[in-house]
Amino acid sequence: MSATVSETIDWSIPTEGTRLDALVEPAVEAGILDEHAKRELRRAILTAVCVPGYQVPFGSREMPVARGWGSGGLQITLAIVGLDDVVKVIDQGDDEGVNAVNLRRLVTDTTGATETTEVSEATVIQTRHRIPEDALEAHQTLVLQVPVPEPLRGVERNIAELGRMHAEADYSRMWVSLYEDKVRNGVITKSTGYPCLVGGRYVIATTPIPRWDVPRLHRAPFLSLFGAGRERKIYAIPPDTDVEPLTFDDVPFEIEKTPGARCSLCDATEAYLIEIPPSDAAADDGRWICSDTAWCRRRRVEASQS
Amino acid sequence: MSEPTPEAPRTEPDGSTQPQSVVLSVRGLRKHFVLHNVDGRQVDGLAGIDLDVSAGEHVALAGSSGAGKSTLLKCIYRTYLPSAGTATLRSPTGPVELTALADAELAAIRGRQFGYVSQFLRAEPRRGALDIVARAGIARGMDRATAVEAAATALRRLHVDESLWDVYASVLSGGEKQRVNLAAGTISAPQLLLLDEPVSALDPANREAALELISDLTAHGVAVLAVFHDLDAMARLASRVVVMRNGRIVQSGPPEEVLHHLEGVAR
Amino acid sequence: MTLVSAPRPTVLRVDRLGKIFGSQNPAAIEQTGPEVGSEKTPDGSSVVAAWDVSFDVAAGEAFGVIGESGSGKSTVMRAIAGDHSASAGSVRMRRRDGSTSDLLTMTQSERRALRVDELAVVYQDAADGLDLNVTAGGNIADRLTAAGGRHFGQIRERAAELLERTEVPLDRMDDLVRTFSGGMRQRVQLARALANRPPIVLFDEPTTGLDASVAAGVLDLIRSLLEELGIAAVVVSHDFSVIEMLTTRCMVMQHGRVVEQGLTDQLFEDPQAPYTQRLVAAARA
Repeated sequence: MSATVSETIDWSIPTEGTRLDALVEPAVEAGILDEHAKRELRRAILTAVCVPGYQVPFGSREMPVARGWGSGGLQITLAIVGLDDVVKVIDQGDDEGVNAVNLRRLVTDTTGATETTEVSEATVIQTRHRIPEDALEAHQTLVLQVPVPEPLRGVERNIAELGRMHAEADYSRMWVSLYEDKVRNGVITKSTGYPCLVGGRYVIATTPIPRWDVPRLHRAPFLSLFGAGRERKIYAIPPDTDVEPLTFDDVPFEIEKTPGARCSLCDATEAYLIEIPPSDAAADDGRWICSDTAWCRRRRVEASQS
Repeated sequence: MSEPTPEAPRTEPDGSTQPQSVVLSVRGLRKHFVLHNVDGRQVDGLAGIDLDVSAGEHVALAGSSGAGKSTLLKCIYRTYLPSAGTATLRSPTGPVELTALADAELAAIRGRQFGYVSQFLRAEPRRGALDIVARAGIARGMDRATAVEAAATALRRLHVDESLWDVYASVLSGGEKQRVNLAAGTISAPQLLLLDEPVSALDPANREAALELISDLTAHGVAVLAVFHDLDAMARLASRVVVMRNGRIVQSGPPEEVLHHLEGVAR
Repeated sequence: MTLVSAPRPTVLRVDRLGKIFGSQNPAAIEQTGPEVGSEKTPDGSSVVAAWDVSFDVAAGEAFGVIGESGSGKSTVMRAIAGDHSASAGSVRMRRRDGSTSDLLTMTQSERRALRVDELAVVYQDAADGLDLNVTAGGNIADRLTAAGGRHFGQIRERAAELLERTEVPLDRMDDLVRTFSGGMRQRVQLARALANRPPIVLFDEPTTGLDASVAAGVLDLIRSLLEELGIAAVVVSHDFSVIEMLTTRCMVMQHGRVVEQGLTDQLFEDPQAPYTQRLVAAARA
């Protein structure tokens, strides 16, 4: 070969005003997901919305969070937020948990979206364990982090058979496990990830939300997106979709309720409460507080103002 | 449950009856067996049988062992496949050529339009007598309640003690089993009844009751073709006795006439 | 006076059913069969497990299939059940709505739907027809929910009814089937098979492998159920006493072909084919 290429090209030729210029625009921050990744995710999300409850496989990327720590939910959020979005992230209903804080910062730092702890301000709410107490509206999107997307995992291991069961809406094994549960325990004991029938067709795992939150999915005005990063599946419940917890006609679906429990901070009784272990309480044991910390705080503020 | 029965036919001096009430017509029936596993040996069972049995008639088949009596009954019932000839059953719905019927159709009319009572009770070992007889009635189309009642009546009639009604059939004595078998086979009187030594294991008292039951059937218009080894039974029940030898009919006539010859040749 | 019998409708019609394993070579048919003495071709490339098998079964009738191993009887059963595909022929079944379907032209999912409430199979090994890790009641609940049952109380009631009918002690209803003896497992399998009142039931060696006294009880039970429920049944067995007790008509198979077909009592007392005569003589011995 002759002299090296660099010696023969004059790199000082200006590109302004030329065609090349149009290609060399100020780059948008690449962020964690490149545009191809986002596009693939959005396609998967779109498919999921078009077939409510169907688990859509997607090319789950490596995220800066460990698998099992919300990588799926994170990918959905990163794919759908833009500069105009306001993001709230909760873990167990708490905005200030370590994981929630880290995820929120990751999203806002790399996408330019703003953050909030107030539901009314958010456009996208990512959650690991709860649906916020405040009612969400049609313009809001709930993104749920899902560890195990397959509702039938407890009754079947074989992937081909699982595929067939969903394809043929053959959920008899699930019904048998509910029957066995009720026979063994007198009640159906599933607490989180309660299986629900979406749009009368597919059964989903509502993991990770507790039974308390399940009825709020039924014909909700908002979109719910479920992301499982490790299992590489996305599913969705579009607005105004029927979501019916699987139960027998004569065994009503029950939500968790402890009679007489009230939040020791804001006095609420009609919210999902969590129990503080006695050693953490000042004097009495079995103190209850609201799981949704932002909601509880706002109630206390409103109470002190009135 | 009672249904209108045909009139008992007039019996002619030679023991035959009016042709209009003929229920079974056998013509040229032959049977030979090929024993493939015994170097293809052939055995003649029936060499050509012509026989009529009318409603209300009791025709007894007599003859020594091997004469072909059971073979004839089994060929009519199709437990044996006839080699040639016909056996026509005149049913209320028209003549039925038994030798030409498809298996499924024959199975359907067995027990209903014509019945067969063998020497031995073939039933599940763990069924009780009442159950066995009642099920025979249900299989004939009776409803459960009627069948159970009819079964109870039949068993009582044959002196099968009520204490035995729920006992497993397998533990009954030979005589008890035979009576249960007879009750089951006659629970709903078919048009034609084939009997193959149905009282061979019964003692005199029980035999009496059984013979009375059979005699009642002919009185109600059932056509009966029976094999008895017992000359007394034949004399009592038969309106006509047909003697067989080597697969052929050699004599036919009223009992008084025929049995006279047979005495001393019995067995 | 007699009760006139009405002809019962044919519910299952098998027409020239055939199954060849291996190379689907038409020449394999002449190279196999009773005259040749094998169901395998000489070069071993094909096994004509069943060929030219035809029979029909009416409602309330039990049809028997007898044969030794390699006869093709199990192949026939599995082809009807849908556990195997078939190479030739048709299996027409009368549906609940009165229409007729050829099972062999259906998709797998259509056949599975059939198995919910129109065709049931009782296997020789109860583990093939049950989930051992589920309770007796749960195995029955499986069929009831598959048919759309959603009322827990009614499911319990029906399961108890079936277990009682198949003589399974009710206090074992909530025990895992894994803890049951062979005979009890067969009874649970029966209860499950009958849960949705299928008009057709296939029995594959239903008592083989059970102790004699246990087998007698199960056979007895099957016979009563068949009488009571007016089911059309196909009973496959190598055991003559089973065929004799349960069926009114049957057929004998050898090396994949039907050797003889007729009324059960006639086949046993007056067998025509040399092979049938040998089989009967051996059974009587």
